[in-house]
Amino acid sequence: MSLPVRLRFVLLCMLSIAGSSIWAQTRPDFTQEWRFAQYLSDKDAFDEAAYVLGNIKPDGLTPAQLDSLLFFRGWIAYSTKSLDEASRQLLQVSPTSAFYLKSQYFGAYCLAFQGQRQQAADILQKAPATDSSLHELKALQLGGIALLQRQYEQYDRQRQAFSYGSYAMANEEKRMDDYRKQLQSARRRSPVVAGLYSALVPGLGKVYAGKTKQGIASFLPVLTLGLLTYEGLRKDGPLSARFIGFGSLFTVFYVGNIWGSVLSVNIKRSEFNRVYDNKILFDMHIPIRNLLN
Amino acid sequence: MITRFCLICIFLSGTCSIKAQSFLQKADSLLTAGQYLEAGVAYERVLFTETSPALRFAAASGKTQSLKLRGRYTQAIDFLNTQIQQTSTDSLLFQLRQEQILCAYLAGQFENAISLTDRIAYLHPDLSLSPVTQAVRILSLNELQRWPEAAAYFKQLAHGAGQDTTLITVYNQLPKLKSVKKAQWLSTFIPGGGQFYAGRPGEALLSILVQSAGLYFGVVSFMHHYYLSAWGVGAALFGSFHAGGVRRAEVLVNQYNAKKVNAFNEKLKAQTLQLAGQQKE
Repeated sequence: MSLPVRLRFVLLCMLSIAGSSIWAQTRPDFTQEWRFAQYLSDKDAFDEAAYVLGNIKPDGLTPAQLDSLLFFRGWIAYSTKSLDEASRQLLQVSPTSAFYLKSQYFGAYCLAFQGQRQQAADILQKAPATDSSLHELKALQLGGIALLQRQYEQYDRQRQAFSYGSYAMANEEKRMDDYRKQLQSARRRSPVVAGLYSALVPGLGKVYAGKTKQGIASFLPVLTLGLLTYEGLRKDGPLSARFIGFGSLFTVFYVGNIWGSVLSVNIKRSEFNRVYDNKILFDMHIPIRNLLN
Repeated sequence: MITRFCLICIFLSGTCSIKAQSFLQKADSLLTAGQYLEAGVAYERVLFTETSPALRFAAASGKTQSLKLRGRYTQAIDFLNTQIQQTSTDSLLFQLRQEQILCAYLAGQFENAISLTDRIAYLHPDLSLSPVTQAVRILSLNELQRWPEAAAYFKQLAHGAGQDTTLITVYNQLPKLKSVKKAQWLSTFIPGGGQFYAGRPGEALLSILVQSAGLYFGVVSFMHHYYLSAWGVGAALFGSFHAGGVRRAEVLVNQYNAKKVNAFNEKLKAQTLQLAGQQKE
């Protein structure tokens, strides 16, 4: 009945393997968890990957593991467009990590996207550029930030490094130059002038601000009310209810139109800036993804 | 020597299987506890580590369930797509495809649900659709207002549930929908006509009143030689309310039609699901 000694030993070994593997489930291994998170991320299950990475405790990890964890957490946040979290995690990766370069460029881009442009520029200034492509990429990023800040001289300094020949960024470099020209040549319109124009001819200030349709649309009601007021005055006199009623409405619309024209200059300007900021950010993003992703 | 090798193999595979089963049990308990994200991760862990088709299928089903419970139906369709590519067993594949059809319906992708149902019949000609999948096809056709096709499938389902199909009359009284164009024409030539046609007499009356007021003001002003007032106030008010009335009639008819279709489809849904339930039993 009794098993041979060697067979008993083999069985004992197997039982210990089985036991240890079950025990290991309660103590997740970093590499295994990292691979599992990578597997989830590859399947676009970012929230689940973030959950797995969030459950890894940083205590007891080696510096390299900690960097990998920070990078991956940042990358997942970047993939889900949580740019604040992405920049926070990515910019904590230490210079000794293999992910440092990518983290710095993407982290700085995330900051630039969120409007923290000076901080992004400071990080990029210190970011490594180990070869000519990276050097050009760095110049493009810094140039883009300079354009976002509307610092044209700073942009001109950065564009000295543009070769316009790199497959990864030649088109973006050309477009950045176009943006620079268009931004500087854009006419700056004065809110005061717009207000004066609208006082002279209702709606003209909006046309001057670049909102032609709005100008025409606001001209018509003011004109109609003006004519009604005139009719009330001519037919019923200055004390008539018709004149006072239409006159009051005309005044409200007339003054409102002047104020609207003043505001429309600022609105048009911010619309213009937003359009160009988006274009610049888009053209900063493509080369980083081409070269570093 | 051979005995020892066999024993090692059995024990190692047993170890992995125990591990995967423990993950699966944990995932099931998380799902039951309402922790859907955590359950989804646990099911993914099984899929990540396990190669056994049965366990992988159980995990894929559980993951789909967790995604459905989180309301992520589109994500569930994509997830099932990847699982279908990795599954080779015909019966399991069939079940995953049926699950995908249900997810497409829940995601509001009715065309997709019907297309997937047509495809499953072609890919698995020997297997018959579950009552739930048959019901989903009918419900999707109903949503797309393809009622004649839905009626044919409804009779099939009823036949499967052992009911006399000659007694089925539910599709005989389709909802009578109103024409948007007709409402617009009515409102153009008769103020308030479109609203009345859409079944809103109150709104029709209001529209008549405001348009008449504008017209009246315009005519009276004109007769008293207030030509600018006649044009600037009377005609402007009448024109604005008239154009608004035409647009409003269109909106009201669309609302009316949607209400009718929903009510009809809801009635059909209840009956379809009841039949599917009967057939399951």
